[in-house]
Amino acid sequence: MTRALLLAVALSIALPATAADTAKGDAAAGKLKVYTCSGCHGIPGWKNPYPNYHVPRIGGQNYDYLVVALTEYKKGERSHPTMRAQGESLSDQDIKDIATYLSSLTPAP
Amino acid sequence: MTIRIFAPLALVLCVASTSAFAAGDAEAGKTKAAACAACHGPDGNAGIDPQYPRLAGQYRDYIAKALHEYKAGDRKNPIMAGFAGTLTDADIEDLAAYFSSLPESKLTDLHGKVSE
Repeated sequence: MTRALLLAVALSIALPATAADTAKGDAAAGKLKVYTCSGCHGIPGWKNPYPNYHVPRIGGQNYDYLVVALTEYKKGERSHPTMRAQGESLSDQDIKDIATYLSSLTPAP
Repeated sequence: MTIRIFAPLALVLCVASTSAFAAGDAEAGKTKAAACAACHGPDGNAGIDPQYPRLAGQYRDYIAKALHEYKAGDRKNPIMAGFAGTLTDADIEDLAAYFSSLPESKLTDLHGKVSE
């Protein structure tokens, strides 16, 4: 009874922490990998031509959403040509690292 | 002389009125955004579940483009397809105006945040 309880408590503490740690990437590696991204996403007000609209702000965006979006570009499930090309060049680890770094950013005070 | 002064002024007014037309109505968007809050948060920051994107302070025209893509099926997301499918072009412009205008934005561009 006590052992079972202890095991349950230990698992409830250990499992979520482990899952979170392994799920995310390396922010420092991500910072190096977003160099290419800054060519469009690093210029305030930069616009995509034809059709003409602002490229999105991606710093501070939620981690899980960034992983899904980049994976969709990688698989060709989103149509933007430049982003599809970028996505195809990324490994799953690259995507995790990039999403970890981007989601850690905050607007300048 | 008069023309020199008024020509730029006319241009400014022209651009201003064009953008006002395209920008949608943020107040109308607020009333249309009730359903969005369940996932994207009452402040537009999707603070509850990171699978949903933050919308507060995102570029207006990018939000509008994303909604059009969900509506057309160019982005495949079952939840968003259901919502976007019911929106008119005016609804999309109003929602984009509303979310882009929300003040508590956590989004930023990458200017100065990249290793050289």
